Amino acid sequence: VNPARTATGGAPAFARSIGRGLGKRWVLVFLLLEITVFGLIAPGFFRYETIQLVLFYGTLVFLLATAELFVIVTGNGAIDLSVGYIVGFSSVVSSKLMAALVAAGWAPLAAIAVACAATLAIGLVPGLVNGLLVAYLKVPPFIATFSMLGAAHGVSLLLTKGVYVTDVPQLAGDIGSGHFLYIAPGGLVSFFRAPIVERGTAVAAIVPNIVVLAFAFIAVFAFVLKRTRFGQHLYAIGGSRDAASRSGIDVKRRLVSVYMLSSFLASLGGIVYVLMYVSGKSDAGSSLLIQAIAAVVIGGASMFGGSGTVWRTILGCLVIAVLETGLRIAAVPTYYTYVLVGAILIMAVVLEKLMPDPNR
Amino acid sequence: MMAAVGASTSAMAKGGFLHSRAGSFLGRNWAACFLVAMVVVFSVTGRGFLSIPYFQNILHLSTMAILLAAAETFVIVTGGIDLSVGYIVGFSSVCSAQLMLRFQSAGLPPGACMVLGALGALALCLVPGVANGLVITRLKVPPFIATLGMGGIMNGLTLLWCQGFPVQGLPGPVSSIGNSYLLYIDPGKSLSFFSKPDYIPDSRIREILRLLPNSLIFLALVVLVLWFLLRRTRFGRHTYAIGGNMDAALRAGINVDAHIVKIYALSALLAGLGGAFNVFQTGIGNYTTFSSLYEFMAVAAVVIGGASLTGGKGRLAASIIGVLVLKVLESGLSISGVPPFYRYIAVGVLLTLAVIIDQLFPELTEKGGTA
Repeated sequence: VNPARTATGGAPAFARSIGRGLGKRWVLVFLLLEITVFGLIAPGFFRYETIQLVLFYGTLVFLLATAELFVIVTGNGAIDLSVGYIVGFSSVVSSKLMAALVAAGWAPLAAIAVACAATLAIGLVPGLVNGLLVAYLKVPPFIATFSMLGAAHGVSLLLTKGVYVTDVPQLAGDIGSGHFLYIAPGGLVSFFRAPIVERGTAVAAIVPNIVVLAFAFIAVFAFVLKRTRFGQHLYAIGGSRDAASRSGIDVKRRLVSVYMLSSFLASLGGIVYVLMYVSGKSDAGSSLLIQAIAAVVIGGASMFGGSGTVWRTILGCLVIAVLETGLRIAAVPTYYTYVLVGAILIMAVVLEKLMPDPNR
Repeated sequence: MMAAVGASTSAMAKGGFLHSRAGSFLGRNWAACFLVAMVVVFSVTGRGFLSIPYFQNILHLSTMAILLAAAETFVIVTGGIDLSVGYIVGFSSVCSAQLMLRFQSAGLPPGACMVLGALGALALCLVPGVANGLVITRLKVPPFIATLGMGGIMNGLTLLWCQGFPVQGLPGPVSSIGNSYLLYIDPGKSLSFFSKPDYIPDSRIREILRLLPNSLIFLALVVLVLWFLLRRTRFGRHTYAIGGNMDAALRAGINVDAHIVKIYALSALLAGLGGAFNVFQTGIGNYTTFSSLYEFMAVAAVVIGGASLTGGKGRLAASIIGVLVLKVLESGLSISGVPPFYRYIAVGVLLTLAVIIDQLFPELTEKGGTA
């Protein structure tokens, strides 16, 4: 907040300073408001488990929104419509690979690790194609990534013949439903594995594994966007492609990398899906695209590029995840989530315009 | 064939094929040429492809896609995009079916139920359309976000109203209206209109010649009106003007905001028409699933038809050809025994090609699509 500017005038200045103080923080205020409302209408909302539920069921959106943010930052109509179906594609690929490796006599843990690594590598391919189409063949991102959506859907249907992949090793499900930290009464602490205690003893399970996994990657991505030259180049490209290119940034290569990073995170989403639901499904993430874009926009990024941060985007995701979980706890039909997410999405853009930017 | 290839390669050697008359014809009409080529290929590879019933069926099943592509054409010509049309289709279907049920239980005759139900749904569909337009023009929300959000809202409302199940139990004549033909001809014996001659049982319905499905007549009427609107009226000229250069349009005294609201209302109305007609075709009021991707397919068809997402360019007829390219590809592949999974991939490849081909002919882009 600029004190010189807030000091001009009397009462209106006070109002203005409140407005400026809220400024871009309206999302935080909105989130608190949500939590208060759900605390009032949903009995049992204020519990530790709620936080874990929000994080657990929000994981996929966290990943996809981060992916979408990287693309949207580069501006000029940049969008990645394929992330949802790449989740499906990589859920199919990874679950098939796990099943095949286990069938070939591998130990489950090795099979899962190798399958995940291979899936992440394969998951770079759709992004590479998207990037080449957008950067070198000048195909509008909307068209290029929608084409990729079709291709990813087609290939994963081809692999599954239209049925779910269910012969995933049990260990995958154990990892997906497991927690990072367990605390049993008496100071017994264990990581990853639930401690063996007497039946009926309450063990506190803290932070689901998949949340730890997702946030390990998201933290790296946040660092890349905020602190590295690569990240600064992305903002520069989003601000003005011409200026970026004249100042010596290889815009085309950066764009290819961005779409590859996006599909990498989406593939990670596919793996998380397999760990969560112990199955691979060709349309696993098809409903998540709107949520991912909404989270980025609610987080204050402009669709025209050049702005937005990972942590604000996560805040945007939380607005959606808290809403969804809260409605579920309040036993309201989940269909309301769609209505509310749509409305908040539009409202976010409007509020963003009304609220003064504290940094400006 | 060989000679043509030889001629074109030699022209290309001069760097001129793309600018030659044949080249620019191909460039401008590649979608139509591709459509013809597909029909030829599938006629050879697919048994029963080259026949009147089959083509009629393709058109019959394309009714909604063509309406959505028409809606998207108007919006895209102004430089916008409407991602809500897919869920407005589902809303309109569920809405008209629910209204029909209400009117039916109120004791109205089936005809009145159907007409009032469909009209009521259409009227309600104007609400999201006008809201889209107002949010875009008054609140300055980008069309992509405004309509994406509206799509979510409509999806939720639809699911709330139908509780996640298709609406069934509609008046009997509903699906027969949507699926019957103008002419039923039993060669040398009889000719009847709108319903099959009584002496032919349902099991032998394929043996007589059925021409002009009702859906096609309905579609032809709508498309004719829209074509007239876009090409022959001031409304249409303003639409192109706004997409070509919004500043110039403003300075020329066009009320751009009001026009854009009308465009999104029209788009929602056409989507509503598609949804309501879908009730007549399927006999149920169904919601739109996440994986149906109606709105994206419509945008794809419009782009294959040569429109530009930056606005000012696009033709209704070309968009319809775009829909037919997608639909013929889909049904041709399946009748030729290709697994249905490939069609998703084929659509993606085709769409990307469409844009790349468009860029090979920059002079067409500069002249604009009104030629």
